[in-house]
Amino acid sequence: MRGWGIQRFNVYIPSSLEDALKVLSEKGSEVTLLAGGTDVLVLARTNIVKLKLVLDLWPLRKELSYVKKEDGYIKIGALTTIDEIYNSFLTKDRRYYGFHDLYWNFGTPYLRNLATAGGNIGTAHPLSDLSILLLTLGAEVKLTSISGERWVPLEKMFLDIRRLNRRPDEMITEIRFRETPENSSTALMKLDRRKGHAMGYIVTAAYMALEGDTIANVRIAFDSTGKPYPGRAYKTEEFLRGKELSLETIREAYNVLEKEMTRISDYRAPAEYRVDLSKVLMKRCLLLIKSRIEGGV
Amino acid sequence: MAGSETVIQEYPDIAIRLNVNGRDYVVTVKPYERLIDVLRYKLGFTSVKEGCGRGECGACVVLMDGKLVPSCLVLAIRANGSKIVTLEGLAPEGKLHAIQKAFLDTLGVQCGFCFPGVIIATKYLLDRVSDPSDEDIKNYLEGQLCRCGSYLRFIKAVKLAVKYIKEGKIYFDLKEVKG
Ligand SMILES: Cc1cc2nc3c(=O)[nH]c(=O)nc-3n(C[C@H](O)[C@H](O)[C@H](O)COP(=O)(O)OP(=O)(O)OC[C@H]3O[C@@H](n4cnc5c(N)ncnc54)[C@H](O)[C@@H]3O)c2cc1C
Ligand code: FES
Ligand code: FES
Repeated sequence: MRGWGIQRFNVYIPSSLEDALKVLSEKGSEVTLLAGGTDVLVLARTNIVKLKLVLDLWPLRKELSYVKKEDGYIKIGALTTIDEIYNSFLTKDRRYYGFHDLYWNFGTPYLRNLATAGGNIGTAHPLSDLSILLLTLGAEVKLTSISGERWVPLEKMFLDIRRLNRRPDEMITEIRFRETPENSSTALMKLDRRKGHAMGYIVTAAYMALEGDTIANVRIAFDSTGKPYPGRAYKTEEFLRGKELSLETIREAYNVLEKEMTRISDYRAPAEYRVDLSKVLMKRCLLLIKSRIEGGV
Repeated sequence: MAGSETVIQEYPDIAIRLNVNGRDYVVTVKPYERLIDVLRYKLGFTSVKEGCGRGECGACVVLMDGKLVPSCLVLAIRANGSKIVTLEGLAPEGKLHAIQKAFLDTLGVQCGFCFPGVIIATKYLLDRVSDPSDEDIKNYLEGQLCRCGSYLRFIKAVKLAVKYIKEGKIYFDLKEVKG
């Protein structure tokens, strides 16, 4: 429908989280959750998704929009926007400078004001920058329903492209990860023909902790490592752990990455090029993290 | 009644309250209506353009409670109770805002379709960064697509707007504007 509305659908405006969970438990299978809408309203506009009953999560922002430190965890409310994450303490702490990269690589200023953390995971789409960064922090996702809550590791949340590991009566309410050690940092990089407003041929993020020159811990995630959703390069991580960080080591890790990663070819880039870019961005991320640990930006 | 099933009425008319450019409105909308359609077709703020309808071009951006948002991706009911600013509200009747004047002076605009969005995005920028660098301007205007390719002129225009504002010239009489 051009110019007037998107499709016809009803919207339930909940008065509280409890109210929202009640509606989800009663009508879960016909409900579409609406957070920022930057994904779901675009899919509706192009008729890829048919909306019937929309549950507007925006009113829950009074309960579910926050970034806080608690019990050794960093906790992010599901309805926190990319803009709010950027304006939180995370981007002032050099361990979490990856959130700086996230902000400047993410869509456009007007999208960052709507797009939420929960919605980014909810898309279950390869090009979900926040999900890719959160994978490197070993994040867990809290799924809440009227009958209780459970924590699921982020890497277990994706079943297929646009298929989330969630029961119809559940919603994401929080994302958390353990506070990382002092000698660690994060980075995220995207490569495309232009810098602004870009999807990225590939997206790479990494977390690394150094002890001297030794890689004490490392996690590396990509928009895809084979499946059509964000994933980690476990074997490459394992290879790197305990080794001395050097260009030599990283070059050796290329061989491991190449074996564990399968990339697709499409009109944007051939698979071979994507694998090459993945290696290069992995290198750049690790070197940037090293410099961040040492005091750089 | 506890335990009773939630009843949802089919496509009800919903009255929402909006403050647009300083004036209060009560409008009746459907649950699926977008803010852009309400602004354009129900309230007549036709500066709000639909370029893509999918969050990619920035032609439809407005300030909603001070935040830049694409009105094509905001349901009208979500705007209930908020303050909206569109291009029409930047300057009092018969005047132009320094940003508008600067874009005209630098011929920053060609066909003009992207122009309202670019100006609102510039307002958002200057509300946050009073003396932006080229880098700041590029970062804040990166989502404002211009089919005519006026991008380099945008940078000139924003700098001129900053100069006017620094000189205390916020509003210009229409008579002072050439063309
Ligand atoms: C022009 C454009 C550029 C973009 N650029 C980027 C980019 O650079 N990087 C990037 O990562 N993304 C990008 N996106 C995609 C999108 O903006 C992000 O994925 C965003 O984080 C989605 O969040 P949202 O709150 O808008 O989600 P919504 O659209 O509201 O929801 C997305 C999905 O998640 C589900 N969902 C929402 N909230 C919850 C919840 N709490 N629990 C369970 N499920 C939930 C919804 O039902 C829906 O299926 C772009 C989109 C557009 C239109
Ligand atoms: S019309 Fe809204 S962003 Fe293009
Ligand atoms: S001036 Fe024509 S689209 Fe920008």
